[in-house]
Amino acid sequence: MSIVKDIQSGRKPLKRAYVGIFLWFTGRAIQATARVDQEVKKEFDNLPDDFTFSLGCLPDGPCMVIGKEKGKVKYLGSNPGKRHVHVRLAIKSVDAAFLILSFQEGTAVATTRNRLITDGEVPYALAVIRILDIVEVYLLPKIIASLAVKRYPKGWSIGRKLGGRIGVYTRTLLGI
Amino acid sequence: MLLPDYYEFCCRVKIVAGHDALEKIPDLLIERGAKKPLIITDKGVAGAGLIDIVTRALRDRVFADLIADNVPPDSDLRVVNQLAGLYHDNACDAIIAVGGGSVMDTAKGVNIVVSENATDLMAFSGVGALKRPLKPLIAVPTTAGTGSEVTQVAVIKDHEKHLKMAFGSYFLLPDISVLDSRMTMTMPPFITAMTGMDAMSHAVEAYYCLQKNPLSDAHALAAVNMIYQYLPIVAKNPADQDARLSMAVGACLAGIAFSNSMVGLVHNLGHATGSVCGVPHGMCMAIMLPYGLEYNMHKREDAMAGLLLPMAGEAVYRDTPPAQRAAKVVSLIRQLNADLNTITGGRHARFFQEVRDRDGKPMVPREVLPEIARAALSDGASIYNPEDTDYDDNLMVLEAAWEGKPLDRNKVKKG
Repeated sequence: MSIVKDIQSGRKPLKRAYVGIFLWFTGRAIQATARVDQEVKKEFDNLPDDFTFSLGCLPDGPCMVIGKEKGKVKYLGSNPGKRHVHVRLAIKSVDAAFLILSFQEGTAVATTRNRLITDGEVPYALAVIRILDIVEVYLLPKIIASLAVKRYPKGWSIGRKLGGRIGVYTRTLLGI
Repeated sequence: MLLPDYYEFCCRVKIVAGHDALEKIPDLLIERGAKKPLIITDKGVAGAGLIDIVTRALRDRVFADLIADNVPPDSDLRVVNQLAGLYHDNACDAIIAVGGGSVMDTAKGVNIVVSENATDLMAFSGVGALKRPLKPLIAVPTTAGTGSEVTQVAVIKDHEKHLKMAFGSYFLLPDISVLDSRMTMTMPPFITAMTGMDAMSHAVEAYYCLQKNPLSDAHALAAVNMIYQYLPIVAKNPADQDARLSMAVGACLAGIAFSNSMVGLVHNLGHATGSVCGVPHGMCMAIMLPYGLEYNMHKREDAMAGLLLPMAGEAVYRDTPPAQRAAKVVSLIRQLNADLNTITGGRHARFFQEVRDRDGKPMVPREVLPEIARAALSDGASIYNPEDTDYDDNLMVLEAAWEGKPLDRNKVKKG
């Protein structure tokens, strides 16, 4: 018998479940927002036709993959398959992912604290971050979204605020 | 003080500074088991006679005849591969980089190729791709500005494929940086002024941007103190050897600060202006620095106020009401730019409208400002800026910096 005992880190099932559900919902919301919001649509239009990005947590935590297919933005589940992933956003651990996705820490602050690693072309990564910021503004109440983004947008029309939010939530729930 | 919950800081470069620091290089090489270095430089540095000073310091102790002076102003993949071949063919065992940012980046690229026996440098691009120490690299900066003698990044351009490859790793930090006053003595006042303001922008942005931490702060404050004090002196009197050494140390301190805390809007818009209009980087930094402070003041007023002490000293700091200290820092930086403008006979531009090329043509026509504002959206420095920026914000700041008017802070959208 070995005198060295392997110690496995805890799986943290509740945090993993929260992160997994959040990423699943956000993935569908990105697909929905790309159809509802002109600014997000324009950001995606400026990206390559086969553009793919992932947001997940290391080492083997939950992940979401978004890709463009025939001009349309699609939530592709948790596995990119054989697609080339242009931008990978990787959160260092489930704990760090929980901090970010429960809005205790904004995206920019997480980056400065080396919890969020970005791999890929910088202009693409910046476009993804701008898209994620807008999606968060649609999904979250102002008081929470203000914690997640550097600056909560001012000057959105009522139509964009209300109509857009209804559109994003409806499409997200229906997966269309 | 803004104390982050978590931060990282690393600078494991041995720094050797002095009026005759170059003479120490042979011992430093021998300590590392190396005696046949490849010296990498560019034609400007070699033409200024700086390589002769380096080789005189090395001769008799180590082999110092292998000199490659073909580094272009922009680092180039073909040159990296060619120099790596030269390194292998001559069985070299170390690299000495003598020059500015492009030479340092090229030397770091060569070091990756020769240490990893790489055929495709691209395989090592990005952050964290390098897994082990590289060959000994000694950095000898010839400007007091870029700080690349203590940074862990390199950018190499593949001009054939129009790709810009970025590399980031602690293994890219040079083993040793040699700061010798003789290396910057021949820099004319105009170049001295803009490279010095580049270093100042590193220190100031490091002190107020999002990744600041107590260790980077300590380096930033010391850098601001030295650069603010000695930059006008070296611009006025390029032969002042003590002031030259102080500027080299100040720029090095600023490099350590910003490579650990990163930079923000000043570099963001400066990089974009450089890429769209070809304005030298240091000049962009000098012009943009007051505007970066003004744009972010509502978020970082306390930190900015703290810069007044190392700049102006105790008496001015004490006599300035706390609420006016940050604004006073901005006015001192504007005044520094104005003084440098006078010292250089107008060559050091204070705002973009003043920037001219060698033929006297304006380099930043007002109509290109929208293009610069758009280009800045693709630059990563925006991540670390305290306040968010979008196209309209970029354009607003650029227009003020073009006209040379202070930024109307009431128009800044506050997050």
